[in-house]
Amino acid sequence: MSAYAALSRAVYKAAVRDATTVFFTFAFPLIFLVIFALIFRNQEVADTGRGYVDYIAPGVLSWGLANAALFGVAFTLMQWRNDDLLRIIRLSPTSIWSVIGSRYVVALGIGAAQCVLFVGVAMLPVFGMRPDPTWPLAIPIMLLAVTAFLALGLIVGSAANTPEAVAAIANCVVVPMAFLSGSFYPLELMPTWLQEVSRILPMRYVNDGLTYAFTGFGTMADYLISCAALVVFTAVFAVVGVRTFRWSNDS
Amino acid sequence: MSFIDSPAIVLDAVSKSYGEVRAVDEISISIGRGEFFGLLGPNGAGKTTLIEIVEGLRLPDAGTITVLGRSPAPRNLDLLPLIGVQTQRSAFFTRLTAREHLVTVAALYGLPPATAEKALDLVGLTGSGDVRVTKISGGQRQRLAIASTLVHDPEVVFLDEPTAALDPEARRDLGQMLRNLKAIGKTIVYTTHHLDEAQNLCDRVAILSAGRVLALDSPRELIARSGIGTRLVIPAGRLSPEQAGTLDGVNGVAVEDGMLVLRTAHTARVLAALDGAADLDDVETRPATLEDVYLELIGAPQA
Ligand SMILES: Nc1ncnc2c1ncn2[C@@H]1O[C@H](COP(=O)(O)OP(=O)(O)OP(=O)(O)O)[C@@H](O)[C@H]1O
Ligand SMILES: [Mg+2]
Repeated sequence: MSAYAALSRAVYKAAVRDATTVFFTFAFPLIFLVIFALIFRNQEVADTGRGYVDYIAPGVLSWGLANAALFGVAFTLMQWRNDDLLRIIRLSPTSIWSVIGSRYVVALGIGAAQCVLFVGVAMLPVFGMRPDPTWPLAIPIMLLAVTAFLALGLIVGSAANTPEAVAAIANCVVVPMAFLSGSFYPLELMPTWLQEVSRILPMRYVNDGLTYAFTGFGTMADYLISCAALVVFTAVFAVVGVRTFRWSNDS
Repeated sequence: MSFIDSPAIVLDAVSKSYGEVRAVDEISISIGRGEFFGLLGPNGAGKTTLIEIVEGLRLPDAGTITVLGRSPAPRNLDLLPLIGVQTQRSAFFTRLTAREHLVTVAALYGLPPATAEKALDLVGLTGSGDVRVTKISGGQRQRLAIASTLVHDPEVVFLDEPTAALDPEARRDLGQMLRNLKAIGKTIVYTTHHLDEAQNLCDRVAILSAGRVLALDSPRELIARSGIGTRLVIPAGRLSPEQAGTLDGVNGVAVEDGMLVLRTAHTARVLAALDGAADLDDVETRPATLEDVYLELIGAPQA
């Protein structure tokens, strides 16, 4: 077995064997999705002929993707460093890229599973989501979202030395960002200046991109801008992440 | 003792400071291939710092380190498969079983799962292979940590307090395991606070304090050279301290806990002289130990 495959398996097992991870990755966003969808059941967004669920689902999905990617990698990194596992890896001939790559592939798998689950549930007859034929455009956004938030998770995982600190920092990053990016609440209903603020937040572009893919809201140009913005965020986070990376808590 | 090849490890004037603290202060040591080498010293003496510098995990401020003819820093991919390291904190992959953990570690070295099985067997953990790493006992944890260290069959093994927090039986088992490792030709560098164990296992020990080497030699040689000699303990009242002081071969007399303690370098002569003055069956002979040497060097009062 290659080191990369073995590490991926180790990460995967650690994730699925942890009830908290499974809950916050799949069940928790799903609960939000179901609650919102039930509240706005059978209501149409004015002038679009679309149900609210078509807008709610991409919002909850963008939040769920960001949350899982960021928390997952930050926890793994903090834990592996605290438990001296990074040193064990460093003392083997395996490269750090195998470590990050294995975490990445697991995060992508989790992201794909989230997409299928959340969209699948939203499409149930009770909720009645009807994705546009452009839905495959959601796939690049999903990949870019996981990548950007994984890179952000590397920074959080290096900054925090305890599980509590990871949770605190990650929540401070994700929760306000989800509100300001329109994941829970349509951006159009917010003051203009808040809408402008959301442009510096990566989750906004995830939300915009997914919404375009599933509902056609916006333009193809906006969609491409979202993709480009996520690439830029990833690059910035990755540079900071590599600079803040520590093999151990001692030097 | 002679070691045929070039030394396994050579340290030359290695220093490392943390702010004002000189954790390692110009240490030079050469460790032969196949040698069982002990690093001893009180908490904070610099053992972990030194061992981690040799492993390449920390960078020294000054000095050179050679392990199997190579420099451990920067990260040396030729050297890494040849060394095995147990850090002071045992490191296990989160939420895996003992077997899964070892399979993952083996894969880090590009080795198949069968290697992990062998390592599990080597430390006698085959029966506990499917237990989660968080659920196994302290002694098993320690053995699993050593199995992780040995999975890729390294030439040089570094163990930082492998026997800490073990019960006496587990400690003895582990000691036997380490002896077996030495028997198959591994070079072992380990730290411990158990001086009796170090005396039994080590070819040579270095006693460190405040980042410096206070003594370095085989336990036997250190004990002999210390001049502490053997202590003969006699129940008080059999003979007066004054009388005892005049006996042939006695170097010192003390009364400790109601017992008369004679120090000597010539046990047989003193016993001969004692014959008649005291019942020899009551005389307890305590040869000096590495612990005596250690305490004398570190400056704690003699027990
Ligand atoms: N990362 C660090 N930052 C600052 N000081 C450190 C660091 N690591 C070690 N020290 C200091 O260096 C000295 C040596 O520490 P070290 O851990 O090497 O001792 P040790 O001999 O292994 O002790 P112990 O027996 O308790 O394990 C101590 O004074 C310690 O406080
Ligand atoms: Mg130590």
